[in-house]
Amino acid sequence: MPVIDFQINGRATSADIEPATLLVDLLRGPLGLTGTHQGCDTAQCGCCTVLLDGHSVKACSVLAVQAAGRSVTTVEGLARPDGALHPVQEAFIACHGLQCGFCTPGMMMSATCLLQHNPQPSDAEIAHALEGNLCRCTGYVNIVAAVRQAAQVMSRKETA
Amino acid sequence: MNAPDFAFSAGRFGSGQAVRRIEDPALVQGQGRFTDDVAPAGQVFVRFVRSSVAHGTLNSVDTAAALAMPGVLAVYTGADLLAAGVKPLPPAAGFKRPDGQPMSTPPKHALAVGMVRFVGEPVAAVVASSRQAARAAADAVGVDIEPLPSVSGALQATAAGAVQVWDGAPGNVLAEARHGDAAATEAAFAAAAHRVQLDLVNQRLAPSTMEPRAVLAHVEGGRLTVRLSSQMPTGVRGGLAATLPGQTTESIRVLVGDVGGGFGMKTALYPEDVVVAFAALQLQRPVKWQAERLEDFLTAVHGRDLLSRAEMALDASGKVLALRIRSLANVGAYPTGAGVAIQLLIGPWVTTSIYDIQTIDLQISAVLTHTAATGAYRGAGRPEAIYTLERLMDAAARELQLDPAELRRRNMIRPAQMPYRNPMAQTYDSGQFERILDQGLALADWNGFAARREASRAAGKLRGRGIATFLEWTGGNALEEHVKVRITADAKGQGWVELTSATMGMGQGIATSYAQLAVEVFGVPIERIRILQGDTDMANGFGSAGSRSLFTGGAAVRVASQSAVDAAKDLAALALEAPAADLEYNAGRFSVVGTDLGIDLFDLAGKQAGAVITAAGSAKASAPSWPNACHICEVEVDAATGALEIVAYASVNDIGRVVSPTIVRGQIEGGAVQGIGQALCERIAYDPESGQLLSASYMDYALPHADGFRGFKTVFDQSVPCLTNSLGAKGVGELGTIGATPAVVNAVVDALAHGLDGHGLGRAAEQLQMPLTGETVWRGLQRDFGPAVMR
Repeated sequence: MPVIDFQINGRATSADIEPATLLVDLLRGPLGLTGTHQGCDTAQCGCCTVLLDGHSVKACSVLAVQAAGRSVTTVEGLARPDGALHPVQEAFIACHGLQCGFCTPGMMMSATCLLQHNPQPSDAEIAHALEGNLCRCTGYVNIVAAVRQAAQVMSRKETA
Repeated sequence: MNAPDFAFSAGRFGSGQAVRRIEDPALVQGQGRFTDDVAPAGQVFVRFVRSSVAHGTLNSVDTAAALAMPGVLAVYTGADLLAAGVKPLPPAAGFKRPDGQPMSTPPKHALAVGMVRFVGEPVAAVVASSRQAARAAADAVGVDIEPLPSVSGALQATAAGAVQVWDGAPGNVLAEARHGDAAATEAAFAAAAHRVQLDLVNQRLAPSTMEPRAVLAHVEGGRLTVRLSSQMPTGVRGGLAATLPGQTTESIRVLVGDVGGGFGMKTALYPEDVVVAFAALQLQRPVKWQAERLEDFLTAVHGRDLLSRAEMALDASGKVLALRIRSLANVGAYPTGAGVAIQLLIGPWVTTSIYDIQTIDLQISAVLTHTAATGAYRGAGRPEAIYTLERLMDAAARELQLDPAELRRRNMIRPAQMPYRNPMAQTYDSGQFERILDQGLALADWNGFAARREASRAAGKLRGRGIATFLEWTGGNALEEHVKVRITADAKGQGWVELTSATMGMGQGIATSYAQLAVEVFGVPIERIRILQGDTDMANGFGSAGSRSLFTGGAAVRVASQSAVDAAKDLAALALEAPAADLEYNAGRFSVVGTDLGIDLFDLAGKQAGAVITAAGSAKASAPSWPNACHICEVEVDAATGALEIVAYASVNDIGRVVSPTIVRGQIEGGAVQGIGQALCERIAYDPESGQLLSASYMDYALPHADGFRGFKTVFDQSVPCLTNSLGAKGVGELGTIGATPAVVNAVVDALAHGLDGHGLGRAAEQLQMPLTGETVWRGLQRDFGPAVMR
């Protein structure tokens, strides 16, 4: 079985895996990072969204071997090492952007990717960026509000 | 802990305050504990082999090749389960066939025996050491099914000469309910000045919890422990005990962690649950099944699926004289008890809604088809009934050339009529429906619509306005809850109040609402409150469904909390050597009145044997609660393409007392988006010839996405508390879903009826059927409304 070396949430790691292993199965299984969820079989729901070299990908549609030599960030890697929550996490709590919380990790990873590339998105841009993430509970109202708030907080920190 | 936190906690975190949910910190950090997140050492995996045809004779299942594959521990068939004494799942019951005989359903074996009756029905189960091995071996199971003709729609199933699903349901009619007074209704129709009639499709839906079903069973200390994603742990335990040989409710422990959405879909015991538990008992190893999305589409319960011919009789002034409704409810091949009761009884309970209508004639047939079972899905019967009535109201308003709000107003039950008993013998304790209507009209700027319509017309768009004024029944008729309290302290003096309830969190934030109610009694910071749920060794009850948890469980939280404070007061009296009558409790501390002598609650707990103070309490509502609302929607339709957009949505909701405003708003608006999903895009579709499920992924089943409507104006009216529970709260979990579907559809019908210039389709637009996709609306504009709904 191939051994791959990669970064997971800022830590160097290696894994010995079957070539056909999906990234989501590597994360949830051997790595025990169960915050990345799987909600469908067809790459529609976005619950498994993670960052691969800073870009959002659906971990159900990426082979684990494709992560070799690259950096993977999951929801477990969003908060700072001292435990302080990421502004996106804070905003999801503050805006009631989650109910059951199952879609939330993927939703936050998509939002984080958006804000890295577009720090001050319009509501339409936020909604567009989240089109690949399904939520059944919130109606998206408070999710979009949370991303908007996170953008404001992050841009204030940038300028401070 | 410091004193100022205590003093302010009730004010900041108590009932009525917007608080951060106590569920959220774990969930946003990926530290939730959903069923599949739990991975005990040595766990093995189940893969189901499912029927690929809708109907057929199951000749044989050959497991030899699969058993020989690497990693395979067992392969089970229906025959294996029968031989081991596994019984069929508890059948739906309680209703009668048209010939008066008790209804009869095909036995619901956990794995098929002899026949298969819908695509996806489990036929065999492979258990292997890895998911990959189980999948490979499942492909190697040889299933010999002789295909037979099938029928998937209720209209087709009740046609002469239709294929029979089950001998015990002649003509495929499983059961029939008649409600009301047929003769009086006939007389009212004969004498009426106006009559309107609509044929309506309430299409089948997939509840679509984002977390698919999941089960993990193992034997621990000789006991079967089943961890799964469920709204009703006690019901699951009972179902497993009734099904598995040698098991009792005492011998089984059901655990539920985080639940990634419920919406009613996770109330039932599923065949897969039985198989996983059986495998764990056989193999004495942890056995897990995580449903793929395809499997949830195929075999988790669906919602709705009701065809209706609905008629309303009115006098010349617009007073409704009578309702007559004939409905066919497609309940699938192996109906659930809930799926049948929802259509034959629960929906009818609200069939006259907030209107003073006493003369009804309802005839509802539950029809067997070669499809998955229907069951509870957000609203469960009330969305169908309210949709039917609110569509009729708009049709009648068009017939009488009355403002649709005015027609509704003329028929509303007046406050002086409370308590009001409707013709289904349901009693409403409270409601000021006209006042809610007036607020809704003001919030939506009802009277300013003409100018907005004109502005849309100038932009080449058809604008329509839809209204739904309605109530709903909540509580599941399971109105009592019990809560246990433990006040504990550790060696460092850090304390907690633990409240244990048999209700279940599933995303609705019930733990936070309970904690807020507890904070009000205990006066301690909300961080000191812990809500424990999801363990049948700790608490048993109905579970969470029917928008019942707050007004039953929340009421019990208050009673139990007060009981705990009372118990602690006696202990404080002993500790302080003062009469209990001289003690006062405030913000987590007992004090002797007029002195500086006192003791903190958690310090007191720490001094007790075991460092714990225990108490318990129950509360019982005397009746369901009847939340009600006025929802008003406006849409714009592109006449060239049929594409439509919701451009305004205003709602005023009479929900009694609100404990957690942010959570309630999330329930109503998130619920409304589910209702919009039914109105505009969602539909479970079976191929009429083959019975294959056509909408089996999120590529084919359209859920609302983030780019849909989000601009809700939502108002709560808390001025009319529910009189039949001690909290005064009315259930809110389903209200938004129930109101949104008719409000949106009425708006689209209005847009097409009016057209650009007032000369649109007129009453012909009333033939529009959900979901109102762009294609459906475009076809409607061409006067193509699809096939006949009813015979």
